[in-house]
Amino acid sequence: MGIRQTPTRREFVKVASAAVAAPYVITSAALGNAERAPASERIVMGGIGIGNMGRGDQGAFLGRGDVQYVATCDVRRGAREGAKDNANKKYGNSDCKAYVDFREILARDDIDAVHVATPDHWHAIMIIEACRHGKDVYCQKPEMRTLREGPLMIEAARRYSRVVSGGSQRVLEDYRGIVNKCWGGEAGPVKSINVQVGPLSQPCNLPAESKPDDMEWDLWLGPAPWAPYNKQRCDGNFGTSGNSWRSYIDYSGGGMTDWGAHHFGGATYAVDVREMQPTEVEYRNEDGKQYLAFHYENGITIFHNKPGVGNMHVEFAEAGQAEGKPVPAYKGTGGIYGDFIECVKTRERPFRDIELAVNTMVVPLTGTVAYSLERSLKWDRASQQFVGDEEANRMLDRARREPWQI
Amino acid sequence: MLDKAFDELKKYDWGVDPKVLKPIDEAAVASHGNAAERGKLEEQLAAVLASDAPRAAKDYVCRKLMRIGTAACVPALAALVADKELSHMARYALERIPAGEAATALRDAMGKVGGELKIGVIASLGARGDRESIVLLAKELGASDPAVSRAAALALGAIPGGVSAAALEKFKVQDGEPTVAATDAKLACAEGLLATGKKSEALAVYKGLAGEGQPKHVRLAATRGMLACAGK
Repeated sequence: MGIRQTPTRREFVKVASAAVAAPYVITSAALGNAERAPASERIVMGGIGIGNMGRGDQGAFLGRGDVQYVATCDVRRGAREGAKDNANKKYGNSDCKAYVDFREILARDDIDAVHVATPDHWHAIMIIEACRHGKDVYCQKPEMRTLREGPLMIEAARRYSRVVSGGSQRVLEDYRGIVNKCWGGEAGPVKSINVQVGPLSQPCNLPAESKPDDMEWDLWLGPAPWAPYNKQRCDGNFGTSGNSWRSYIDYSGGGMTDWGAHHFGGATYAVDVREMQPTEVEYRNEDGKQYLAFHYENGITIFHNKPGVGNMHVEFAEAGQAEGKPVPAYKGTGGIYGDFIECVKTRERPFRDIELAVNTMVVPLTGTVAYSLERSLKWDRASQQFVGDEEANRMLDRARREPWQI
Repeated sequence: MLDKAFDELKKYDWGVDPKVLKPIDEAAVASHGNAAERGKLEEQLAAVLASDAPRAAKDYVCRKLMRIGTAACVPALAALVADKELSHMARYALERIPAGEAATALRDAMGKVGGELKIGVIASLGARGDRESIVLLAKELGASDPAVSRAAALALGAIPGGVSAAALEKFKVQDGEPTVAATDAKLACAEGLLATGKKSEALAVYKGLAGEGQPKHVRLAATRGMLACAGK
């Protein structure tokens, strides 16, 4: 277990030590069996933001014998209570508790790790706060909403030696064929890859509607600018065309960052620039068709929406040799969730370690700034600044609504 | 087109299609590199802040000034920092406008607001990395409101270095979140000191966080820091 925090502070031990009058019986559930690790070796988890994606994530963790799921949190009563009931039904007890405010989960000493699937504008705050409280984190993609959030999340993870995994299961699972072709070497050196994804998110000015009684609206908005409740503003469906929070700039980068997290993640993995960030975002406008070329220091280019080129199309150099190399993959069993849990146990870096996730998200986020300003930009990774473009640098971040802060 | 958009802006409320303001968006992009055009646009936008335009209109203006605002619009924004409804959006612009006047306006606001609005101002000063606010922030470490104390600690951590570290040493341990924030800020300062070669100062901070009374993840961070100070 290396530097893992000790398992002696598990719930059942607390119960045992507190049981003064009643005889202490070690149950078979606590001792474990072929499918279930002993309680002392389980990773104790809670979930924050437990709607669409969060419910799926909960199911994945709940199905694992090496996880004990003890807390759910959501600003919607139905979501948090439903997820809580889900866990309690699975375990046949009532140990899982439901919370409105994520800070109550982070304050619990018995919880080792959390998964986060709130809207994107909350991700950085929750990841950083979780690290400050000694929790490991699995966070749904896109892991960040602004460029400034990236290095701060990495810093928090490294400062406290936390395992922080981004959550894009598609990076490995959807693009394996392209990855194998690029990493295998037979096709020659990679020159470029194209990502087709969109749209950008838009300003939201929807009218006020009456708020459901079971929703904490101010907490849903959190660090985002205040706005009146409207169902379409906060709906968690996967659309990006106006009927969900994924459509709007205060909460999401739109398809560019939402599906973009998968596609750009797959592209950076395929052409092996996951450890890098682009040095230049070239804005092109050909006959009214806007598209981008992200240039990397090793000469590779990632295009965004290049006209006439399909999604994940790879261009190989006409000459030159490329040596095959082993393809990195998940650790443990159970896909990206198993990868995270395995790394929580071993303290290794997960497949979508937060630094790799940030490197990926820098692509669509710098691209969004370039589209917004309609000009090319140079990006300096060391300073995390656009070079010589003061207006672009203003867009690295945005003030958070009080009392939220990173 | 632009004049019509400004007419629309004066009555822009929740529910109005944002497309009516598109000419202003386009003018903001097109005026890049043209100080005179930008200045005129900035002036027109700032004027809306002092008017009785709806909240949604002022929200929009602050977003635009965040992109193109200069020292010229700072007074109009500063006037809103104490306004409970508009304080955040005023900071939305002030936090990102590079002009020193914006930082000065935020520092000045520290004495005029309390509670959550003060937390917002503190957070903006931290996000700006405003070294001139360190003394002000240090005073707030001792605030009676734990949330203000916490915010001040985090802001000092965002301006890492010896001065912030010295201020944080005076932080009195409280239950819960202010201490979590102060600990994080101290670690950020120690990292800053180490990165600038001030190993003995960094080591002193780390040693103070390595004791048995600290949570394990903090002791781990401090121990790793001490090893780094020793060059290991």
